[in-house]
Amino acid sequence: MDISLEVNGRVEELSVDPGVTLLDALRERLGITGAKKGCDRGQCGACTVHVDGRPVLSCLTLAATVRRPVRTVDGLSAGDQLHPVQQAFVDQDALQCGFCTSGQIMSAVAAIEQGVEDVREFMSGNICRCAAYPNIVAAIEQARRADASL
Amino acid sequence: MASRLDGPLKVTGRATYGADNNFPGMVYGYVVVSTIANGEIEALDATAAKSAPGVIGVYSPFDPLDLRTARTPMFGETWVPLQNREVAYYGQPIGLVVARTFEQARDAAMAVEVSYVRRPALTSLAEGVATAEDAPPGRDGTPSSLSVLASGVESIEAALAASPVVVEATYTTATQNHAAMEPHSAVAVWDADGLTMYSGNQGANIQAMELASALDCEPSTVRSVNPFVGGAFGGKGRTSVAAFLAAAAARALDRPVKVVLSREQVFTATATRAATVQAMALGAARDGSLIAVRHDSWCSTAMDRSFVEPTSHGTSREWYATENLAISQKMVPLNIPPTTFMRAPGEAPGSFALESAVDELAIALDMDPIQLRLRNDSTAPPGKDLLWSSKHLDECFQLGAARFGWAHRSPHGRTEGDWLVGIGTATAMFPAIRFPATVGVTLRADDTAVVATSGADPGTGLLTVLSLVGAESLDITPDRVTPRLGDSALPPGGMSGGSTATASAGSAIMVAAAEVIDRLLDLASAPGAPFEGLEVSYADGQVLADGRVMTFGELLRAVKQESISATGSSAPGEELTKHSFSSFGAQFCEVRVHRLTREIRVSRMLGVFDAGRIINAELARSQIIGGMIWGVSAALHEGLEIERNGRLANGDFASYLLPVNADIPEVDVHFVEHPDTLHNAVGAKGIGEIGTVGMAAAVANAVHNATGIRVRHIPITIEDLLD
Repeated sequence: MDISLEVNGRVEELSVDPGVTLLDALRERLGITGAKKGCDRGQCGACTVHVDGRPVLSCLTLAATVRRPVRTVDGLSAGDQLHPVQQAFVDQDALQCGFCTSGQIMSAVAAIEQGVEDVREFMSGNICRCAAYPNIVAAIEQARRADASL
Repeated sequence: MASRLDGPLKVTGRATYGADNNFPGMVYGYVVVSTIANGEIEALDATAAKSAPGVIGVYSPFDPLDLRTARTPMFGETWVPLQNREVAYYGQPIGLVVARTFEQARDAAMAVEVSYVRRPALTSLAEGVATAEDAPPGRDGTPSSLSVLASGVESIEAALAASPVVVEATYTTATQNHAAMEPHSAVAVWDADGLTMYSGNQGANIQAMELASALDCEPSTVRSVNPFVGGAFGGKGRTSVAAFLAAAAARALDRPVKVVLSREQVFTATATRAATVQAMALGAARDGSLIAVRHDSWCSTAMDRSFVEPTSHGTSREWYATENLAISQKMVPLNIPPTTFMRAPGEAPGSFALESAVDELAIALDMDPIQLRLRNDSTAPPGKDLLWSSKHLDECFQLGAARFGWAHRSPHGRTEGDWLVGIGTATAMFPAIRFPATVGVTLRADDTAVVATSGADPGTGLLTVLSLVGAESLDITPDRVTPRLGDSALPPGGMSGGSTATASAGSAIMVAAAEVIDRLLDLASAPGAPFEGLEVSYADGQVLADGRVMTFGELLRAVKQESISATGSSAPGEELTKHSFSSFGAQFCEVRVHRLTREIRVSRMLGVFDAGRIINAELARSQIIGGMIWGVSAALHEGLEIERNGRLANGDFASYLLPVNADIPEVDVHFVEHPDTLHNAVGAKGIGEIGTVGMAAAVANAVHNATGIRVRHIPITIEDLLD
């Protein structure tokens, strides 16, 4: 079926089977590969993107059902200027292999935007096998301070 | 401190992992796996799959791809799929369906009908212990069973019988999966020059060699590219089934092929850490001095017997001073997925047994567990003449005890509201090893340098280390050094495994840098060059003589040369005849067990490590934290459950438990820095694995301290603590 997806501010027209997930549409059709496939079952969080500002698991979202704008980690920074959460992840060394990082960052941005209190609990849908967890929490705290100072 | 060089690429989604590569005309392969654990494929009906939309190829043992067993000096033989009809474990790759889209390939794979001649499957380690086989000798010829006895002592049993205090117990550890976040994946592209393989692994040149062997091609025609690797932990040492199948299918179809294992397939179609059973006996004098250590080990292995988890050899063989030692290693071949090295193979599960037993001995002796460990601190492994090159385990324990507040520990824990609180400790050791490595160093006319080796950085920070050691060796700032890694076209080295990469590649960088500086100086003083005939020297990235100074870039420009290069190699050598080498550490952990629900929470952790020189404290801390959390994971979360028929009951991320953010408290890490230049010129020893070692025992010991319940298996669950 023919669908149009707005991804990172660009409208993309594509033709997909109804069973194609948002994740596979992004990665395999549009070549937007920031979101990762860690499990394809909604169990790891590596594929987290924002749809209409809310974090969703793109592997559990059918592309054809998406009507609202999609934002992925690829569209988070403005040119070479890193988003404060991205900068905080670099500063706090909140990543090692980096494969879960795209999803971690999209969840972290949502955590800050939603003003969640229990960051560890909120971030627990994103598995990091390198186990950068303490540094991820530190990064979110740093970004939150940067956010508050704006 | 320099931050992780590839951090900006990883936080923006611009880091390109294997499966992120897309090419025009690329098609998708989906792997078909067996649904029995032992038997023969009788028939495989691909009729429906072949006629499904978009399908362009179905491969199986009846219609195989052109592959042969890979043979390399590093790994020996590596199995390749589809070459016969034998099935030795549930979830074994037995087919590949290739279609125009991922969805078409996946859907058609579900339509492949397979029938089997089934044979009974052996899947229980516990039941197999009675008929276990001796493990083969180690690579260095060490026999699977060995003993070191004081003169006049007839047997380890006699030494134990003569010991005033003896503890004896059996410990078990679970089957585990590396569970790197990046599933094994591959994109294969053939052109007139040969194959280019995009697939995350632990050493690009080794993958290229394995592929060349499996595909029967000239090694020079296979290029393996892995600039980013989404975690490995030992599970991406050998070339993956995805890579073998993608390469062979792309050759057969003459177009690029992408193959990505599903998460469920990663659990069976790659490899796991073996389950272990370990019988320990420790005999001591009343002052705590060890008289006898006996450590008998069994591990599961796949039917091909290709890997043994060396728990007793990895720990009791070396850790404590004792006059009498007897260890053995047996294996139980089962119809289970292949076993392989996984972060601290041998040491991680072995230390759970040994360090739990040492805790039990401390209790039997009514002695402080740290005091007991220091009482048996060794200057060399038992029965060996080669002293430790550099060992500061005592400093780790003393510093750790002070930082963690060990002096406030009560022998029976304490209570805070509804929570029973306990603390535990354990020793950590991991051998300091080097692998042969070659690194190229290039000085360029723009006053920058390139440091290049094939290798891989699966999150370890090797890329950053290359730039730091390169800068130091060339006496310039790190921002002027471009590290290159993850391409088999580069000089061969930097295999990320065995906690070796920094010591191996780092030593080679120093050799290469010295060589390129020699060549630069020769160039500077050559006839017609700016320093013709002068005695020249090099410092701060500059050539100096007679009060004149030129940067290396200025010199290269003056002689109209774009760059000057050299390679350097290093390998383990004479030092092995002079000393024993290891990293050391002291692990500390506090747990809280709920009085009623018996929920177990880790509330504090500390690791203090003596790992030689630390090149980048920030990255080292991150890697050690990860390792320590792996120890917590082994202690409280991870374990594959194998059903009678060989199916994994929990082979997915919903039911194979891994710690998440809410499970993990603050983690404190400290290094006592004593550069070990007897081991290598850089002075660095490994840190990739030692963080994991000992931590599971520290957790179990803390659980005992909190509750009085000794759990001798991991993972420890709520049920274990119910009255």
